[in-house]
Amino acid sequence: MAQIDHTLGIYNDQHQLVATGSVAGNVLKYVGVCNKESAQGSHFNTIISALMNLLAEREIFHVFVFTKNKYSASFQHVGFKELAHTDLGAVLETGDTDVADYVARIPQAVDQAQQRVAGIVMNANPFTLGHRYLVEQAAKENDRVYVFVVQDNVSLFTTDERRQLVQQGTRDLSNVTVVSGGQYMVSYVTFPAYFLPTPNEAIRYQTTIDARIFKNQIAPRLNIQTRYLGSEPFSRTTGIYNQVLRKELPPEIMVKVIDRKRVGQQVITATQVRQAIAADKLETVQSFLPATTLTFIQQHKRTLQSRIQEGMTINGN
Amino acid sequence: MEIKKTAIAGTLESSDIQLTISAATNGISIDLQSDVKKVFGDQIEGVIKQTLSDMGIAAAKVKAVDKGALDCVIKARTIAAVQRATETTEQPAWEVL
Amino acid sequence: MAESEERLRRTMMFVPGNNPAMVKDAGIYGADSIMFDLEDAVSLPEKDAARVLVYEALQSQDYGEAELVVRVNGQDTPFYDNDVKAMVKAGIDVIRLPKAESAAMVEKLDQDVAAAEKEFGREAGSIHIMAAIESAKGVLQAPAIAAASDRMIGVALSAEDYTTDMKTHRYPDGQELLFARNMVLHAARAAGIAAFDTVFTNMDDTEGFYRETAYIHQLGFDGKSLVNPRQIAMVNKVYEPTEAEISNAKNVINAIQEAKLKGSGVISMNGQMVDRPVVLRAQRVMKLAKASNLVDEEGNYIEK
Repeated sequence: MAQIDHTLGIYNDQHQLVATGSVAGNVLKYVGVCNKESAQGSHFNTIISALMNLLAEREIFHVFVFTKNKYSASFQHVGFKELAHTDLGAVLETGDTDVADYVARIPQAVDQAQQRVAGIVMNANPFTLGHRYLVEQAAKENDRVYVFVVQDNVSLFTTDERRQLVQQGTRDLSNVTVVSGGQYMVSYVTFPAYFLPTPNEAIRYQTTIDARIFKNQIAPRLNIQTRYLGSEPFSRTTGIYNQVLRKELPPEIMVKVIDRKRVGQQVITATQVRQAIAADKLETVQSFLPATTLTFIQQHKRTLQSRIQEGMTINGN
Repeated sequence: MEIKKTAIAGTLESSDIQLTISAATNGISIDLQSDVKKVFGDQIEGVIKQTLSDMGIAAAKVKAVDKGALDCVIKARTIAAVQRATETTEQPAWEVL
Repeated sequence: MAESEERLRRTMMFVPGNNPAMVKDAGIYGADSIMFDLEDAVSLPEKDAARVLVYEALQSQDYGEAELVVRVNGQDTPFYDNDVKAMVKAGIDVIRLPKAESAAMVEKLDQDVAAAEKEFGREAGSIHIMAAIESAKGVLQAPAIAAASDRMIGVALSAEDYTTDMKTHRYPDGQELLFARNMVLHAARAAGIAAFDTVFTNMDDTEGFYRETAYIHQLGFDGKSLVNPRQIAMVNKVYEPTEAEISNAKNVINAIQEAKLKGSGVISMNGQMVDRPVVLRAQRVMKLAKASNLVDEEGNYIEK
């Protein structure tokens, strides 16, 4: 996320730079404006619409921005809507779709307002018996469970593969609905630290934003009352994420942390599964996997291994 | 005519209006933001709807950010956005202009 | 030559065609001609939007007495055909062709305009055209270009592209434009159409602007292309006739009326015969004086 796709500058008649801004993917970055000698906000509006037109040429119409809270109003004035903010900053979106559209596409029961509903967010890279155990606990204790699978395609298993394996691995649980987490849950846009090495302070900011989007934008629209988490003994990022979720979500959303499932003395992790694929020692993790995931890996071992050889990292999330 | 892809036209600069038009399953929905929405909101939406209707667009989702555009500007931006969204920019809709 | 009566064309103000604020306000500065630009002022992805914007503005905005001109994209671009059609349908006064290099290009525009007039039910011959000369080739072909169509009302020199083509750039004294200015001017005068000088872009150099404007006024140009409305009053100031010129012109006009009353075919003033060029100059001076608000309805000089 540190990299920039394109930077624009606007110069006045005296060849002085009066506004600049950049884009990275569908995120606006480093917007800076000089308001001397111009109508308040006019350079800001010019640079934002120039950046949006630039993205439109690339067929990108759903745009996000992170900004300091004091500039949130400026972005709202040009059509952005705030998704969440913390003391450190705000995240806003605009374009041809938004979080309301995203939730509207998620199937709901007619009487969902009266139901006990839970949510789980997972990357499932790939779906293990540990994930399965977490979903089972939630399914037992609720009328309906949404499993939000991380949408961004930056993991060893592709987005489609991960979602399909979750679907196949939970097919027998009739009250479980598997959906994409979109750009709103553990997404590369709002929570890049999940995918990239990041200092703790930034992780805390991003996870707070992620938690507040879930709490204020997603959960109320689906009547989700409980968020289930797996305990996190290993990953620093996920550990901080769990801490922040437990601090941010209650009292409106209950947080239930389920202890990791073990096989013998071993805690099941997807990381070990990926390492076993790389080392070509699938037999060491066979007992971690549901049949559906194991079969898929056996059938696609070469492809997965070549992705690792081409540089796909396996030690992240 | 049918919306084939999302398209944007216009800018956020003074006297302009930025329109984003995307496909919808039925009907026209307009999300309008304007400093003068209370007084002119109906008129702005009216111009957009009339222009869409003249161009034979029955279903579309429109996001409009108005910065004080005159009716002729609203109409022009709607036409430009629709032509881009329907991939008909090379064949201007002479009968609607 | 498209016109029987000459109109004042001291100032032709460029207006970027995709800027609603500037398109909307273009009429309030008092330019003799307003030139909406679909060409250089509009980026490639916005060509379609600018065309529609100018079209809709022309349908609904009141630009008063100003002559309305649109600079279309060049004949070597995919935008030219639709630009011409849209502007003919809009009923624009003048279509300005950029980068004119031959009479054939003007003839093509003439034919395209004629076809569009027919398609959209406009009166045949009602849309005028003009050509911008922007290259060495164009300068050498200027006489043929200026005379290439009955629709032609003027030729303009565009110095940025021309000086690049000539492997030079613009200098304060304008020596590099000497030949081009005189060619364009002579081509215009020989064809009986207007001649427009190029833009002056350094808004901070007021003195330089006055110097250049006084110079092209002296050569005989009808006026100048402008990029900023602030330049309009400056050009008009240069084109203002003096009190002596006005009083002399008034005497000529009076002599004409006297001759008419007497039923005499010969106009004389102070015992001297007044011939046609003197009459034309007097009429032009009075027109400029009126436009500059220097005379009242009856042509009497207003003391300031």
